[in-house]
This record gives sequence, C-alpha cells and structure tokens, in this order.
Amino acid sequence: MSLLELRNISKSYGGVRAVDDVSFAIEPGTVHALVGENGAGKSTLVKIVTGVIEPDDGELLIDGQPAWIGDAQTAYRLGIVAMYQEPTVFPDLSVAENVFAGRHPRSRLHTVDWRAMEDDAMRILRDLGVDFGAGTPVRGLGVADRQLLEIAKALSTNARLLIMDEPTAALSPNEVDNLFATVRKLRERGVAVVYISHRLEEIDALADTVTILRDGRHIETRPAGELTQGEIIRLMVGRSLDALFPKEEAEIGDVVFRADGLTRRGIFADISFELRRGEIVGLAGFVGAGRTEVARSIFGVDPLDGGRIEIEDRGFRPRSPRAALRRGLAYLPEDRLHEGLVQPMSISDNTSMAVLPAVTAAGFLRPRLERSLARRFMQQLSIKATSPAQVVRSLSGGNQQKVVLGKWLAAEPRILILDEPTHGVDVGTKADVHRTISHLAAQGLTILLISSELPEILGMSDRVLVMREGRLVAELSRAEATQENVIQAAAGVREAAA
Amino acid sequence: MKALAGRVLVRWETLLVLAIIAVGIWSATLSPFFLTRANLLDLVTPYVFVGLMAFGLTFVVITGEIDISICSTLAASIVCFAQIFAAGVNVWAAALIGLCIAGGLGLVNGLLVGVLNLPSLAVTLGTLAAYSGLAFVVLSGEGVATFPESFTKYGGGYLAGNELPIALLVMLAFALGLGIVLHGTRFGRYLYAIGSNREAARLSGIPVTRVRVTVFVISGLMAGIAGLVYVGYFGSARADAASTSLLDVVTAVVLGGVGIFGGTGSMPGVLLALILVAEVRSGMQLANLSGQLQNIVIGVLLLVAIVAGNLISAARAGSRPAKLHRRRKGVRANARADTQVIADSNP
Amino acid sequence: MIAHVRAMKPQELAAAAFRLREIGIVLALFVVIVFFGSRATNFLSVSNWQDIAQNVSIVVVVAVGETMVVLTRNIDLSVGSIVGLCGYLTAATLAHHPGLPIEVAALVAVAAGLGLGLVNGFLVAVARIPAIIATLATLAIYRGIDAEITGGKNITASQLPDHFLSLAGSKPLGFPALAWIALGVSILGAATLRFVPWARDFYAVGSNPDAARFAGIPAGRRIIIAFALSGSLAGLGGFLFASRFPTLDSGAANGFELTVITAVVIGGVNVFGGSGSILGVVLGAVLVATIADGFTLMRLDEFWKIFFNGFAIVAAVTIDALVTRRLQEALRRRRAALLVPPAAEAKA
Repeated sequence: MSLLELRNISKSYGGVRAVDDVSFAIEPGTVHALVGENGAGKSTLVKIVTGVIEPDDGELLIDGQPAWIGDAQTAYRLGIVAMYQEPTVFPDLSVAENVFAGRHPRSRLHTVDWRAMEDDAMRILRDLGVDFGAGTPVRGLGVADRQLLEIAKALSTNARLLIMDEPTAALSPNEVDNLFATVRKLRERGVAVVYISHRLEEIDALADTVTILRDGRHIETRPAGELTQGEIIRLMVGRSLDALFPKEEAEIGDVVFRADGLTRRGIFADISFELRRGEIVGLAGFVGAGRTEVARSIFGVDPLDGGRIEIEDRGFRPRSPRAALRRGLAYLPEDRLHEGLVQPMSISDNTSMAVLPAVTAAGFLRPRLERSLARRFMQQLSIKATSPAQVVRSLSGGNQQKVVLGKWLAAEPRILILDEPTHGVDVGTKADVHRTISHLAAQGLTILLISSELPEILGMSDRVLVMREGRLVAELSRAEATQENVIQAAAGVREAAA
Repeated sequence: MKALAGRVLVRWETLLVLAIIAVGIWSATLSPFFLTRANLLDLVTPYVFVGLMAFGLTFVVITGEIDISICSTLAASIVCFAQIFAAGVNVWAAALIGLCIAGGLGLVNGLLVGVLNLPSLAVTLGTLAAYSGLAFVVLSGEGVATFPESFTKYGGGYLAGNELPIALLVMLAFALGLGIVLHGTRFGRYLYAIGSNREAARLSGIPVTRVRVTVFVISGLMAGIAGLVYVGYFGSARADAASTSLLDVVTAVVLGGVGIFGGTGSMPGVLLALILVAEVRSGMQLANLSGQLQNIVIGVLLLVAIVAGNLISAARAGSRPAKLHRRRKGVRANARADTQVIADSNP
Repeated sequence: MIAHVRAMKPQELAAAAFRLREIGIVLALFVVIVFFGSRATNFLSVSNWQDIAQNVSIVVVVAVGETMVVLTRNIDLSVGSIVGLCGYLTAATLAHHPGLPIEVAALVAVAAGLGLGLVNGFLVAVARIPAIIATLATLAIYRGIDAEITGGKNITASQLPDHFLSLAGSKPLGFPALAWIALGVSILGAATLRFVPWARDFYAVGSNPDAARFAGIPAGRRIIIAFALSGSLAGLGGFLFASRFPTLDSGAANGFELTVITAVVIGGVNVFGGSGSILGVVLGAVLVATIADGFTLMRLDEFWKIFFNGFAIVAAVTIDALVTRRLQEALRRRRAALLVPPAAEAKA
C-alpha cells in the first residue's frame, strides 16, 4: 500500500491550469524524485499535499484511505513535512530547542527536561552525522546545517513523508554529500523522501523513482534505473512547438549594453554578455541559476562585487534603482505582487510611480497627467479595469502584470529587463504581453528576457543565454536553440540527443 | 488612490464630523456658554501645539514608523530657545535657532532609523528620555517667563476684537500647507508608497533612505514650531513642557484615521480628530472632570480608535475578524507562502 | 587572538557573542565604580551600597516582568502606572486595616497588578492593538484611575502600620529585605524562563512568531500570560515601592517604566524578542542604579539620569544591531567562500 497516492488532482489559478489531472503514488522507504521545468506544477502539488491549498478536483489517499488535508496542521499530524530552501528556524534558540519547540520533553515535575531534550536531539543529530552540538545557537548555523536541523525536527516528529524542495541549491559539494548520506539514512528508516530538483546528476545518484511533470500534467512515473538523464530531459520538454509566438522582424543595431565579468560572491561569477538595440535576448536556466540575482545587481537593487557595465559606451555603476532608471534601464521584477506593485494603490498611482518627476510640476502632482498616462497604457496593453482609479489589488493576476509592465514602459527605458513577465498569467494575456514585447523591440528597445518557459524563450529571443550555478554556460543563436539543448545546458548534461 | 481615498475619507471623516457634533451637543447641555462664537473659536487654542505635533507625526506614521520623542523634542528646543533669548539675542533669531535644534534632534532620529535601520520604537523611546533629560539639564532652574508680545501673540493672541485666536490660524495654515504636501506632491506620494510597500518603492526608484530621514526631520521641526506656539500660549518655557501630551498627539493621529502600520491616512482626518480631542477635553472640563480622569477617557478613545480601524479593514477585506484570520495565517505561514513559491516560479 | 577568533566555527562565534553582553556589563560596572569612587564622596561606603541595593531591588522585580513581555516581541509601557497604582492600593489597604499581615497586602498588590496586566494582554493579543499603543493608552488610563482613587490626597507614613514601615529598613542577615525579595524574584524568574514550558514559548514567539504558530504554540495565550506576569510583578514592585517611599500620591513612580526598560535593554534583551537572560537584566539594573546613584552623589541634576537612560537605550540598540549585522556579514562571507561555482563549460 502506497504511503501517499494522488488521484486525478487538479488545480487552477484564475484560468491557468496549474495542475491537470495528476495521478501517481509514493511508496514508503523510497526517494521519489519530482522533476519538471519551472511552472510544471511541482510547487502547486507540494502546497496541496502540505495542506496550504486545496485541490479543485481529485483526492489524496494516505495508506490507502482517503485523506482531507485542510490545513498545515493536519498535514503535520499525518507526518507530511516540507523543507524549503530557506529553512524555518528560531534563530535565537538552540538547536535542541528548535527541534522540540512547543513539544519540550517534560520531567516528572512537568518542567522542561533539558537533559532529555539535548540527549534526544543529540541522538537524532548524530544519526544524521552532523558536527554541531545540541546547545549551539542556531543563529550561528549556515544554511546546510539549518537544513539538517529541519530534517532532525521532522524525524523527531516521526515524519513519514519528507518533501525537499531544491535542497542543494545553497550547499557546497561536501555538504551535498552529507545531505545525500542523510537522505539515504532516512530511506532506510522507511521515510519517503520526495526530492524536487533540476540537478539531474543528483537524481541519478539518489532517486529510486522519478515522476516527470510538464505543463501541469503527469507525464511518467518510472523507476530511476530505467531512465537516463537524456530521456528525462526529453520527457520534461517533449511538447510540440507548433504554437510559436509571432515575433516581429526587428532591426538589430549597435551594442547598447555590455556586461563584463560581473561577479557577486557566492551567487554568480564572471557574467559577460552584450545586448544590441532592437534585440530580444533570452536568459534561461533553472531556479537558483542566478538569473534574477544578475538582473537585480545590474539594476542596483543588490550589490555587485566585481565586473564592469557599459551602457551606450559609457561606464555605469549600478548604485541604486534610481541611478539605473536615469541611464535608461528598467527592471520588471519576478515577484510582481510584492515588489512590482503597491497593492492598495490605484492603477494610475502605480503606473506613474517610477516616473513621478515627469508627472509633477515643481513637485506638485498632476492627477490629470497621471490618469492620462495610465489610460494610455491601459489601452496599449489592453488592461481590463473599470478606470485608472481602480485599486490594483482587485485586478486579476494577468492585468496586474500588465500594470507593472505599463509602469516600466512609462519610464521610456532603452533597456528593459523582464523577469518572468508571463509567470502565472493566462494565455490571452500572455499573447498580449508577447505582442507588446516584440513590438517594443521592433521600435528599437533592447530586451533581456528572463524566463523559465522554454516556448517563450525560444519563440521570442534572437539569442539565448543559459546560466547554470551562477555562471553563463551557453550562448545560442535563434537558429541553434532548441528546447533540448537549452535544458541540457541549464542542467549541465552532455548527452547527445538520441 | 484618489477614489479609494475618497471612499475612505467619506467613511472615517464623516464619523469624526458626526462625533464632533455629538460631543458638541453634549457640551452644550453642560453649559450655556459652550455654543457662543467666542468659545467655539477658542476651543482648540490650548491644543494647537498638540495639533502641530500630530501633523508632523502623521508624516512619520504614514511611512510605517513611529516617533514618540516629539514631546521631548519640543521641550528641549524651547528650553534652548529660552536660554538663548535670555542671553540677549533677538527673539525671532532665537526662535529660529530653536527650530534648527528641533530639526537637528529629529535628524538624529532620522539617521538612526533611516540609515542604520534601527527599530523606530526603540530609538525614539531612547531619544524621548535623552532629549527630555537634555531639556532639564539645559534649563537648570526656573523656566523663562518673559517674552515680547510680538512673539507670544502667535500662541496666545487674538484678532477681531479678542475673539479669533491667532494660534488657530497658525494651525489651520500648517494643516493646509502640510496637507497639500502630503496629498498633492511627489514627496507625499513617496510616503504612502514607502509605508505600503517599501521594497516596491525602492525598486521604483524612490529615494527611500532620504525620505525616511526627512520625515523625522519634519517631525522634529513641527515639534519645534509647536514649542514656539506653546511658549506663546502658556507664556513660559519649562523643561517639562508638553511632557504629558504624547497621549493626545498619538490619539489625534490614530483617531484621525492614520493606519499605525503605515500607508494610509489623511491630514483632514488628523485635523478633525484633533478638534474632536480638544472638544472632548473641554467638555470634560465643563463637566468638572479632573485632568487625570480626562486622560482615562482619551486613553480609551485611543484604544477604541484602533479597534474600530481593525474592524473596518477586516470588513473591507471580506474576511472575518481576528480568530479565524489567525488560524488561516498559521496555515499560510508554513509553506513560507508567496515568497518561496514565487521564487520557485510556480504554478 | 584575532587568529583564534577567525579560526572559530561560526556557531562558536555566535555563542561567544551571547556571553559577551554580560561580561560587557560587568566591565562597565567596574569602570563606573572606579570613576564614581574617585569623584564622589561616600560612593564606596556601605550605607551607599545599601541605598543602591534598595533602589535596584524595585527595578529588578519589575524588570523581570517586563523581560517576559519584551521576549515575546512586545513592550509594556504601563508598568510605571501599575507600580504607582498598586503601591497606593497597598498603602490604602494597610491604612484602613492596620492589623493586616504584610503578606496579604502584598497579595492585594500582586492581584491588582495581575488584573491590570491581563487587560494589557487582551488588548494586545485579542484586540490586536500594537503593544506600543495599547500600553501607552493603559499607561494613561491606569494613572488616571490612580489619581481618581487617591482623590488628590496622599497617604503619609504616619497612617501606615509599623510592621510595614520597618520592612524597607530591615536587614535580615545583614542584607536589605528588599534585596532578598528581588533576589528571590530573579531566581524564580530565571528558573521559570528556563524550566517552565510555556515560558520557553516566549522565546519562540519572539524569535519567529510565524514558525511558533506553525509549531502549534498558542501565541495569543502566551502573550496574555507574559503581560499578566509583567502586571503582577509590577504590582509587587508597587508594594515594595510603598514600603520604601511610604508617602504616596498619584504621581508615584511616574516615569518608572523608562528606568525599567533601560535595565532590560542594557541587560541584553533583544527589542525584537527571542533572546535575553534574567542575569543580564539584573546586571543591567545594577549598572543603571549605580550610575544614577553616582550622579546623585556628585550632585548632578537628577535629570542627567533621565538623559543617560535614554542615551543608554539608543546606544544599546545600536550596538546590538551593528554586532548582529557584522555577525551575519561574516557568516555570509564565509559561505560565499565555500560556494565555488563550477568552472564555465564549453559553449554549446
């Protein structure tokens, strides 16, 4: 009997099918890899299984019995624990207390039994092979150790299903080996480990079973031994590309942007590339490859430890977003909800936010100018809303994204960096956005398109850059780029296509 | 934002206006003199300095911070002003220096919170004490009590046959001026953006650090101006000036509809709330309630204002209040909700 | 030594930073004693130290309660008013029932403080009013109630029974009675924070409120308990205050909350909650009281004390924040060194 079985699970977000009729089973005592591109539906499934959201359709069975996981507490009680890249810890408490927070072992007098707590914690930690003591303050622990701490915590609550989401993203090679050893120990104890990763070599080394998802649908579940890395890739991306996006012909001009040796210690290194006027350059790679980080450093949001940038042949120091804006750069952030928009404000206010000096006279706001600016973009981008005064929070995800786009277009940038511009957006809006991007390029704008959707990258880009583990590993022209070689570069797989 | 603001103002401000009318009726029953023109015009005069501080504090709270050191800043600045004046300097020059000092004290807060990113509550709690102590140390001895009438009339003088308090005009002027800055300028828009979503504001090219430092300077300056009016009205500069007024200032701000977490609020609301507070206190005075008892009422008013604000925003968000909300928050908390998922590029 | 520090593992570094605080306070205390000892007459006399001990005791008792609240990432500004109010209640009770044993009077004070603290707790945890606003309001409300009850009169020592008045002066085993009580409260407080499960939850709630809720800790209930404890101890503090300063009017203990919070902040309790020890708070209270006493003996204005408290709070918060930030930076740099991105592969 399977530990966890998903039957016909479906979930949609406002018109977007995140998960579509997915069924597979997870057995106890196995390492079950969950593979798929960004946007394949992995995170949604995890959220469903951990009780954060509820599926629209389908059922979950635990030990063969139908289970209703209505909230996180229930999932917890059923023994389902998820671990994310940012471990959830109490930074001010010791390791032992983190493991047993809220469930301190009690002595006969009903007081906290520190000795028992530390002994129990030490036992678990020793089993996992860690080298820090139970009394260590967690604030001093790095990510790898915090992950092990979370695992220890899960073990102490007798977790039966441990979901690890990209656990090795921030680990050094030694720490990765350590983690693998730990995962194998968990398997021996009968725990089921769902291992989500795009690092196919890890899946090769660790997984017993592999489930591949694509575009929200379940493609295959097979024993890991039966699949090569190349086959996994083919299953991940094996969609027909007949629906390529209409890209306008654009005249590609001189180099307007030159990045040379950009480095941010521990995050990305030696990133060098050029962008030309009228070009759309796609930047592909898995999550954690460092694409967003590069963009943020270029835009002055995060620091840059080394390297040189030239915009229109003049040096540029990305001191702040303001400075970047002044040189004609614009950056549409990945997280539009939290970084792109001020939710309680209107479309009009949000649209003008990056260009307030332009809509003010002597410091005074000109609401009429703001409104007409907003209306211009509402029309150009087909934003569906009652008026420019409508509060952004009440718009659909797709329309919100358009408002963010409008805000940055209002700044009349010469170089536009788009970070996942159609992420979580419905098909109609996607087409609108693509049409706009293509048109902008035709008018002479330069676009750096960061995206995890291969069809989008391949359809829109004149050139495709691929990043992996903080480095630029490939540059492919429009003619050369295919789904497979892009993913191969992103995953670091050298296998030739069959 | 204008339309939403319109909707919010219509609700909250209307409530305030109704409350002002209601309290007015109650006060009128207590004394036949209440409804005379002279009395009504003079209602707010003893609280003008509170209002001026509240206007300054409003700027700080809208950006999502708090400044509880304002009353101490007032005391410190007027004490310096008085000493400098007593040393023979022209009263207006001395007043200007006092204002500079007030702005400087605000700047200290601003640098600690805006540049060093320290928590504004802890910092202004510390400067509340430090500035207060400073005030006492500078003015060792009695307060200075003789200021020229050309100066004091702005705090305590009257126009139009002894009926129209100049202080009232001063307050209205600042309410208007600051209101225009808050609602009509780029700078004001920056405040709301930073208060609602600091990161998005920064990414939009808004000079967040500069703005955060500036609001504390404004808060300090307004405390300085309030101090000058205070001296004009009460006729003396004491080191313990305004020491008990923090409650009224905070109440005026919160009751005025300024969200304590930042991002919302209006100047007209704070003005109305200040009038309401003044009216309530004066009414209680008529009813012969002691100052301390009045404090109880104002304190309760403060609590009620926040709870009412909570309930209204909960109702508008469509979810049910407190308890249920908390459980759902606990649910979302686990998966580290949006940030993690977004980074993972779902769905 | 630098090499040794650099060789330390990050976790050891963090642990060392914790203990640094208490050592720092003791060092500062040493410096202060030397400074005042050489400048102020009588500073080093036994009677002066007994004075300091008496003052510190009241601060410590209330500070232990305040610590509980600050640990949960909240603050209680109303403790000064609670001390004043409960002090008056103690005196009033004894004035009207002179035969009452002082323990009962103390119980009255604590019970009253408990009630006031519960109100604070409900306002913060249930009505969702931010602690700074809620306790600012109750600071005024409780002070107002105090004024109403005193009705403009005050209670003088002559109205109080001898067995109460002699409490402050008595020195069982040569150590002031008040100091014994403070010691007892400190030990009990420290033991509670270490061994009582729901008290450990204070740390969790302050360190990461979301994680605490997910771990199943009922944060709201814990916060109410923290405020209740703060109120109760402030009540006890009021009792002690009345015994030491038996002439009480409605202004008693005005501004006392500032002294208490200074002791707590200097003592290393993080204003964001989650960490802090009673030992640190006691040392902090001693340091603050010693400096105040030194100021008095040097005939400096009483208000230098207030200035110093404020300055100390700002300095402590600044230093704490900077040290934490340095620590995070050092950790980040160490991680960055470990993470070596793979060498660039041949372009496809």
